[in-house]
Amino acid sequence: MTPILAFEAVSFDYPDGTPALERVTFSVERGEHVALLGPTGSGKSTLLQHLNGLLMTDRGVVRIDGENVNQNSVRAVRRKVGLVFQDPNDQLFLPTLLEDVAFGPLNDGKRPAEAEALANRTLQELGLDTAGNRAAHHLSGGERRLAALATVLVSRPQVLALDEPTGDLDARSRMRLVRLLRQRDETLLVATHDLGAAQALCHRGIVLHHGTVVADARLENILADHDLLERSGLAAALDD
Amino acid sequence: MSFHHLDQYATTASPITRATPTARVVGTVTLACGAALLPLGAWIPLLALFTLVVFIAAVAHLPARAIIARMSGPFVFVLVASAGLLFLVPGNAVGRIGPVTISDAGLERFGFVLGRATVALGAAVVLVSTTTFPQLLGAFRQLRLPVVVTTSLALAYRLVYLLVDEMERLQRAAKSRNAGGGNASRRRLLIGVTAAGLARAFARGERTHRAMLARGYQGEVVALESLRWDALQGVLVAGLVVVVLATVLFAHVAP
Repeated sequence: MTPILAFEAVSFDYPDGTPALERVTFSVERGEHVALLGPTGSGKSTLLQHLNGLLMTDRGVVRIDGENVNQNSVRAVRRKVGLVFQDPNDQLFLPTLLEDVAFGPLNDGKRPAEAEALANRTLQELGLDTAGNRAAHHLSGGERRLAALATVLVSRPQVLALDEPTGDLDARSRMRLVRLLRQRDETLLVATHDLGAAQALCHRGIVLHHGTVVADARLENILADHDLLERSGLAAALDD
Repeated sequence: MSFHHLDQYATTASPITRATPTARVVGTVTLACGAALLPLGAWIPLLALFTLVVFIAAVAHLPARAIIARMSGPFVFVLVASAGLLFLVPGNAVGRIGPVTISDAGLERFGFVLGRATVALGAAVVLVSTTTFPQLLGAFRQLRLPVVVTTSLALAYRLVYLLVDEMERLQRAAKSRNAGGGNASRRRLLIGVTAAGLARAFARGERTHRAMLARGYQGEVVALESLRWDALQGVLVAGLVVVVLATVLFAHVAP
């Protein structure tokens, strides 16, 4: 069976020449929940941005549902991969939450009434049904995270890529988000250095260090390997 | 975010806040156009329009102090921009300021421009005080303003809040390190915070654009459906238009 996403020897340098990814190879099966682990600057966000064509490289191949990610396929790819950014403020750019959530379906060619109905349904699913007419700056940090998630879930993507989803959340909001994500059927790729959240959400882990995959194994095995965690700068996160 | 004052009266229950935002926008434009169309010297019709604005503000439960405070900034601009009328319009001399002479015709025109501005600004302040920005955008869409304009306004609105938030954080960070003690130091701090804030705004814009692309944005802006007209609102707005139009016509035909 074709994996839902695959990286084949993907390398990527930033415009200033700084290497960000170095021959990254892995694949993820449909419905898998995978944690992408690594300290800040290890290349996690860069990797996620390759998933829906925000960044592209000619060194290596990224495949989504068997299709190469390139300029021709990028529109279809973005329907399949929902990317939740690290800072929800980047993702909530319209005056009301309802408009923000409806943005994806509208761009996907849905009629306004249909997009609004989808947005309302998604907000209801996430318990944000009363927040539709509120502005993002009137939401709490936890609500903002959920709202950013809603902007992506509304398009029913097959792959959900989350960049530090629990960053700056208090314990209660973090638990609420983790519980909600655990129930999702979509393929999950969670970039995080919150090892607790990773453990609660994922069964498999991929460790990135300086843009290179240094481990790809069951998460419990990774977390038990203190040498690996030490080498890849994750030991401190385990102490947290 | 430590400020919510922009929309603080928009949630006050009143007949004005119950009217549709589109009705409020049309009413405001009608009053402003009415004031602009009055012939010079039509003081009584101008007073009638001003009274109408005061009545609407009272019905909206807006405190006079808040209206005056919100009008004062733009009013100073009008005052400065129209000050030249005092000296440039020919007429009989009624006074002197240094080497220049103030004419009676100039004084009348200056006063009338300020009167018109008071009506238009008052109406605009009532509108923005009783209408949240998202409601205003909905009204603009219903009035068929181009989507690219309303979406640009929408993005700018959100960015303003993010920017102020970031500026506040930068300022707090600087103050926590004892920056901004004296006047000169405060000025330096303000310049530094503004520069850093602009750089952050640029970076934020880049990231937001990426977030838009990630959700299928292709350069064409699509918006949700606009608001729907309500028959009663239509009648009320039509009534206001008729009153203002009658006032303007009266001003033109009355001796």
